[in-house]
Amino acid sequence: MSGAARRAARAVPGAGPRWTSLRLRLVVVFALVALTAAVSASGIAYWLNREAVLTRTQDSALNDFRQEMQNRAAALPPRPTEEELRRTAEQMSSGGVGYGVVLLGERAKGKPIAGVSDPDRFTMDDVPQELRAAVNKRQEVTSNNAYPYHLFWQRTTRDGTPYLVGGTRIVGGGPTGYMFKSLEAERQDLNSLAWSLGIATALALIGSALLAQAAATTVLKPVHRLGEAARRLGEGELDTRLRVSGTDELAELSRTFNSAAESLQKKVADMSSREESSRRFVADMSHELRTPLTALTAVTEVLEEEEDSLDPMIAPAVKLVVSETRRLNTLVENLMEVTRFDAGTARLVLDDVDVADQVTACVDARAWLDAVELDAERGIMARLDPRRLDVILANLIGNALKHGGSPVRVSVRTADADLFIEVRDHGPGIPEDVLPHVFDRFYKASASRPRSEGSGLGLSIAMENALIHGGDITAANSPDGDGAVFVLRLPRDASRTADGRGEEREGDGDEGA
Amino acid sequence: MGQNVAVPFLLLIEDDDSIRTALELSLSRQGHKVATAATGEDGLKLLREQRPDLIVLDVMLPGIDGFEVCRRIRRTDQLPIILLTARSDDIDVVVGLESGADDYVVKPVQGRVLDARIRAVLRRGERESTDSATFGSLVIDRSAMTVTKNGEDLQLTPTELRLLLELSRRPGQALSRQQLLRLVWEHDYLGDSRLVDACVQRLRAKVEDVPSSPTLIRTVRGVGYRLDVPA
Repeated sequence: MSGAARRAARAVPGAGPRWTSLRLRLVVVFALVALTAAVSASGIAYWLNREAVLTRTQDSALNDFRQEMQNRAAALPPRPTEEELRRTAEQMSSGGVGYGVVLLGERAKGKPIAGVSDPDRFTMDDVPQELRAAVNKRQEVTSNNAYPYHLFWQRTTRDGTPYLVGGTRIVGGGPTGYMFKSLEAERQDLNSLAWSLGIATALALIGSALLAQAAATTVLKPVHRLGEAARRLGEGELDTRLRVSGTDELAELSRTFNSAAESLQKKVADMSSREESSRRFVADMSHELRTPLTALTAVTEVLEEEEDSLDPMIAPAVKLVVSETRRLNTLVENLMEVTRFDAGTARLVLDDVDVADQVTACVDARAWLDAVELDAERGIMARLDPRRLDVILANLIGNALKHGGSPVRVSVRTADADLFIEVRDHGPGIPEDVLPHVFDRFYKASASRPRSEGSGLGLSIAMENALIHGGDITAANSPDGDGAVFVLRLPRDASRTADGRGEEREGDGDEGA
Repeated sequence: MGQNVAVPFLLLIEDDDSIRTALELSLSRQGHKVATAATGEDGLKLLREQRPDLIVLDVMLPGIDGFEVCRRIRRTDQLPIILLTARSDDIDVVVGLESGADDYVVKPVQGRVLDARIRAVLRRGERESTDSATFGSLVIDRSAMTVTKNGEDLQLTPTELRLLLELSRRPGQALSRQQLLRLVWEHDYLGDSRLVDACVQRLRAKVEDVPSSPTLIRTVRGVGYRLDVPA
């Protein structure tokens, strides 16, 4: 699983935004649903409770007040003294309900007096004007309304504390009474109820978030597994399968993925086996061609040496056989090289070489010295496969000479851990539409172009040889329009970059001490 | 060895009739005396009867293959062997060199190239100077072309002997594989450096006290090999 973990770690840049979207969306939706439900439920509960509590308190207080008014205030004489009023107010307020009372009477016409049960808590100033007006207003006595005066009440606040203020007049003369009841206790009850409801809402929110997380996990884990599996499949691990459990949509998706992967694997296997057999065929064929070619090659030399003494009618035929045998040799040689690359059996035989020496020797061995300008300092050492470097150079320089014409300029330079060999010709350059295909096998620039002397594999083999070193070749036209430029890049130490493809044969271990 | 007669006598072991005939024709024209065999068994028999100077050996043979023939020859004989391989596949070359071949050529080979290789291998047995050198218990007698270790004669192939001679000529100095390929094998700049490595391994097996931790023929990383004078 460490491999999977490593891959997952590598996939983090892509996983970040994906994590937020679906998971976050689920959490937000769950939270919103929970919030709406909790807030409306608690809101309604609070409201109903508040009304019930307030109404009950209010009703009991007002009923008690009405009762007290009838029992005590109505019993006062029509012209009570201030002392009588005060005493009656105190008596009224000392009941169980606990409210303050103000009684207003008239000692004489136009001489109002007031009796206050608790002047520190409640005076007439605390009674709102509207309430006084409503209380003093004489109602029309109709069939629906039996009394001219009613009990009125109002909720008010004083110094931040809620109060119930009620007032009425005794019908048929008597003092006007006002009661003043603090609703502080009810407010505290309601506040603690609100707190409880708030906490309950918060808990519901947290619970919903947790639930959403759990739901997201149960959904996202399979989705993540599916994504991981799809990625592995894309990377070529065609035997990737998902474990299917359950019967839900995700399981169905996993099943679909598995069958898709299976058919893909089967198709790829079919294709690669077909490709493998055709590759084997080419490899076998080129092997088979070698046996007659070996015999032919051995005797063509004998023929060649005898050319001068041959019948002039026969000599051209012999010459043709000799030259075509050579060409066949090259073709088969290249074919074998290509099949080795295709089969992945090509190996590097590394050695430490002076690059300038190698380039010079390559040019010299093919008698190209007159047509090639060399710009290579001796002393640039590189660890590479000399035979493969020779193949690359011979193909690049040969190609430049053939299509670009001399002089061909070969320059060697180094940058960091890389070696650059540039082959520049002064020919017409490469048409832009051909440029991307120059390394293709058997690619012909145009169908009408005469059959090239080469095998049509030269540049592709050069490229393969560069790739196996961990390098590459780029083809371009010179910016000044004067010819084509091929740049070969090779690591200076191919044993490091070729990643074990090269043969390590320094393992003698005698320098270990 | 010392059998450097004017006309080298070769034994060609090759199963394909056409190739055998063509190579025999080509090598004869290059001035060699050639005996041929179509199988490894016949070749080994001919080797005992005719004592050739050199063997050109095809790898793919019916019956015992070229590698096995090579190994059997090496048990008793140090004469030069050139492998003729139909494949330049690396495993073949490595196995061939490990079984004791001195050089190899890849089919289809030109007669001229094969001739040049043959002559180069044969030249390795020729003596050049008349002095001798001592490296610890190892004594190289350049006039007699013999090497003794603790007084005992070592059986070296001409290639191994030449490699030791070239290294001993420059004691303490590192020679690159390419240099050794030129000096010993007379190969051009494209010589296969594995020839050197394989030959060094075989030589170490014969001259070193402990071949896996050599004290005489040392590897110089990034360069090649050198012969050390023991302290």
